[in-house]
Amino acid sequence: MHSIGEEMIRTVLAAGALALLAAGPAAAQTTLTVSGFGIAQDQFRRILYAPFEAQCGCKIAVEAGNSAERLAKMEARRANPEIDIAVLSDADAMIARTKDLIEPIDVAKLSNHARLYDIAKDPIGGNLAVGYTFYNTSIVYRSDKVKIESWKDLWKPELKGRLALPNITTTQGPLLLFMTDRAFGGSGGAFTTAIDRIAEVKPNVVTFYERSAQLLQLFQQDEIWAAPLGRFNWANIKKLNMPLAWATPTEGQTGGINVMVVTKNGKNRELALRFMDMWLSTDIQTKLAMELVDSPANKEVVLPADVADNLTFGPETVNAVRLIPPADVIANRDAWLAGWNAKVAR
Amino acid sequence: MFQDRRIGLALVLPATLFLLAGFVLPVLVLLSGSLQGPGGWSFDAYVRFFAVPLHQEVFWRTVRLGVLVTLTCAVVGYAAAFAIVNTAPSARGKLIGLLILPLMISPVARTYAWIVILGRTGLVNQALQGLGLADGPVRLLFTETAVFIGLVQLFLPLMVLTLVSALENLPADVMSAARVLGAGWIQTFVRVVLPLTREGLVIGGTLVFTGAVTAYITPAVLGGSRVLMLETLLYQRVSVAGDIVSGSVIAAILVVMSYTTNVLLRRIAAGRGR
Repeated sequence: MHSIGEEMIRTVLAAGALALLAAGPAAAQTTLTVSGFGIAQDQFRRILYAPFEAQCGCKIAVEAGNSAERLAKMEARRANPEIDIAVLSDADAMIARTKDLIEPIDVAKLSNHARLYDIAKDPIGGNLAVGYTFYNTSIVYRSDKVKIESWKDLWKPELKGRLALPNITTTQGPLLLFMTDRAFGGSGGAFTTAIDRIAEVKPNVVTFYERSAQLLQLFQQDEIWAAPLGRFNWANIKKLNMPLAWATPTEGQTGGINVMVVTKNGKNRELALRFMDMWLSTDIQTKLAMELVDSPANKEVVLPADVADNLTFGPETVNAVRLIPPADVIANRDAWLAGWNAKVAR
Repeated sequence: MFQDRRIGLALVLPATLFLLAGFVLPVLVLLSGSLQGPGGWSFDAYVRFFAVPLHQEVFWRTVRLGVLVTLTCAVVGYAAAFAIVNTAPSARGKLIGLLILPLMISPVARTYAWIVILGRTGLVNQALQGLGLADGPVRLLFTETAVFIGLVQLFLPLMVLTLVSALENLPADVMSAARVLGAGWIQTFVRVVLPLTREGLVIGGTLVFTGAVTAYITPAVLGGSRVLMLETLLYQRVSVAGDIVSGSVIAAILVVMSYTTNVLLRRIAAGRGR
């Protein structure tokens, strides 16, 4: 016969063993921390994070916010990084590079790397980033009021009081400088020609916008007739049901790439690469494109025409995008800001 | 009041501790951040901040709009408060209710409403053109005027409310007395009403000025990047440029500005009261 005490001990031991079993895998479950943009996180969770979690038996934690905030956080945690992968614009990735916050990606381990468009394979050099999406930037205009065939057409007098331009602090700001500079015969990365020209057109400018969402309202209220903006707004612009057109300027269109980077001395390097690889796969890139979350960087993605029109899609479009040389961003970013603040912002 | 002083001290202790940990300490950290130079304490960050012409312009615009908004609210506020105090008590309650109503609506919603009202095809422009006061649409949106209008609308209720309670405490007969003794309306207001309600004006003025210079949504939405104020500049420096030092400099300037205004208003009020 067992005494009650013995019975109790046995129960306690069994419970303890169970608890250990339960805690074991949980303790082993790693968390992959992704620093990303705040937009479309619901779709990302459904299309990308949840399937990846099921596959790896790990957890994905997302730190969302704007690039500058997230970069500042990465810098503050340099010695003991909590972020494994960060998603940034190409320009911000360059900043992360100069601040030595990221490390080269072993692209041989990315089975989908060869499927990417060439401009996405190594956008900032040194294999420090991989592009997962890009966009083209051009001018949206009221086709019933004005004709835009060149970046110079933004200087047309009929756009007086009807023009919105991106502020230098946005991602689109430097892109405007880049195309303006080229259109008016400037050269090099300092964009002084562009800054002078924009200072000249300032009286015509209704506002230098900070968020592209603002432009929808301005078009709708008939405040503006033309504004340079990224293709990612196009689906929403079309919903306004107004005579708005996407310009194909003679000087070409510009644009940008959003990239993934790996934090220097990150704790989950292997897992980070697996996550990147999955994101770049034809399957995931197609799903994200079908929901208009991101234009595919994977050239094997096939899309129906109506979806493709809302995105930056197809080799012709992608090859026509003129990107600011990354080295120019680093060399001149402060000069652009200073020039803009001295001549345009005042 | 308390038999035992310790009871009084015990009662203020929780609030004091909370303020120390949640307010005084962070503010000190913030201010000291702006005073750190390469070799210890210095005003280096301030010198560099004010060396930028754009920053000077933004500073003066903030001061100018703060003062204009406060003055406008004071003038309009006294008139409105007078009218409210002189209505029957039942009507007074309703009027004050109406006054508080906009305070219950989110400032974001209120500010966005101004975009529609001040727009090219908005109410104001329709009225101006309908009355023949303007040939074409007048540009109001993204100008200092728009920010001024938005801020006055935002803070006027605060001024009126403080002035109503100040005027309610005004002895009932002083104005009649002044009038009987031969003072004109202006003289009555300047020599009798103003000195007796100056506390209300100091509180209202400080609230409105501090609110106006530290408002973010109104200048961001109605002014945009062409009409930067210190608060929108602060956001830009910190959130876009990652320039925390300029951010703490601006924050310190705003604290000093608000405090100085309060001191100045009290000085002026004390001077008038003598």
